Amino acid sequence: MAIPLFTSTNPSHVNLLHLTHLFRSANFSCHRFPNINTHGDVEAVDPHKLRVALDHSSVLVSVFCKPPKSSERSASLRTLGDLFREALPVTQSNGRLVGFGRAVSDNGLTASIHDVVVLPSLQRQGIGSMIVKRIVRMLIGRGIYDVSALCSCEERLFFEACGFGNDMLGSTTMIYTRGASQSNLSDKGNQNGVVKGAGRMLLLVPPPVVVVEGERP
Amino acid sequence: MLSGATIPPSSFYCGRRRHHAHSNSNSNSNSNSIRLFPSPSPSPSPAAATRKLKLYCPPVPSFWDSIRSGFKKDNPTQVIDMPPPTLSEEEEEPPLLPREVVLLQNSLPDGTIEQIIFSSGADVDVYELQTLCDKVGWPRRPLSKVAAALKNSYLVATLHSLKKSPDSEGDGRKELIGMARATSDHAFNATIWDVLVDPNYQGQGLGKALVEQLIRALLQRDIGNITLFADGQVVDFYRNLGFQPDPEGIKGMFWYPRY
Repeated sequence: MAIPLFTSTNPSHVNLLHLTHLFRSANFSCHRFPNINTHGDVEAVDPHKLRVALDHSSVLVSVFCKPPKSSERSASLRTLGDLFREALPVTQSNGRLVGFGRAVSDNGLTASIHDVVVLPSLQRQGIGSMIVKRIVRMLIGRGIYDVSALCSCEERLFFEACGFGNDMLGSTTMIYTRGASQSNLSDKGNQNGVVKGAGRMLLLVPPPVVVVEGERP
Repeated sequence: MLSGATIPPSSFYCGRRRHHAHSNSNSNSNSNSIRLFPSPSPSPSPAAATRKLKLYCPPVPSFWDSIRSGFKKDNPTQVIDMPPPTLSEEEEEPPLLPREVVLLQNSLPDGTIEQIIFSSGADVDVYELQTLCDKVGWPRRPLSKVAAALKNSYLVATLHSLKKSPDSEGDGRKELIGMARATSDHAFNATIWDVLVDPNYQGQGLGKALVEQLIRALLQRDIGNITLFADGQVVDFYRNLGFQPDPEGIKGMFWYPRY
């Protein structure tokens, strides 16, 4: 590809602020069911939560490219410094973050891929696919072959192109979606109906475990 | 160690999506456990310590101490321009899950008292777990990988049966009869794996208790995307617990090894 890119799997190359900017540029939310305002923008990611998520991800992939040359300056005004900078290879410190992806794993049996994002202006050029393949390569290197990814309908084609498919064992993907309205009428034991927000979902928190004593019938 | 070179990637280790399999296998009497249920270790595993992971360390002191101490959070030090984290003004956060709770207590016909104990955060003996997996008919997995997976899981909840004779003075016989675990990035996403209950103890709501407590612990930490991959025969079990298949068309896809 024509754009010089630098791909890094070094966690220390991840800059939290730049990552939140990338997410915003791509209108991406870490929540599966995000709040979306009237302009179609998803809510901004909570940087504290993102920091925690990054700290507990087994694989982090960042893709950088050189910032575009300033086209307003004519050739005569370019300094020696400009020429020197253009000749340097792209690194995480002089490049712009344009792509990202991460995986969460138990480092033994399973892993799941999350938050694969590419700057919209650079999409459809194979950068996202490269990120996913790099993540998979890292996981295989650690002996983890059970790699999953949650996909919306739109994302399914992308992951198919990256070598993903339906579960060979035919399992059904299920997500916890119970809200307070569905069960508080029938469950007298949980009258408080504590809920927790996750994006636009309000999820019902199950009651604490109860110590029960009784005779086996 | 594993002979990884001779195992093709396609035979990767299943059991990830075997949830609460119903089995008709006959029960075995309590197999000789290789070691007794060990006392919990409060420190993070050495492997995790070298990787800057903040593994959840369940509070080992008494239940009430752990309520008071709460869950520590580190301030992010690499953040630019980000506000420092503020503690909520509500009461201190309760522990994720109770360390050990007696769910049921029964008197068996021969006078033995049996307790079903729910616990979290303690070590799971991989040999005991393999015995349990055999009982429900799951394929075996390399023990070193299972051990690593358990150590690096965000939550591991177990059920044990403790049988004591009223006249004997020992600690009684403890047997692993159920388990469920969850992996997570501690912030947004969690996946529940390996939910199983000894066939002899199924049908009593124990599997439900295991899964509900995992959900409770995850939601209390604001981890809102809770996923699992269910075999066909247990889809209804999870539906009753509040899970929905392919909500809004979201499906799980899996990497296919290519040669």
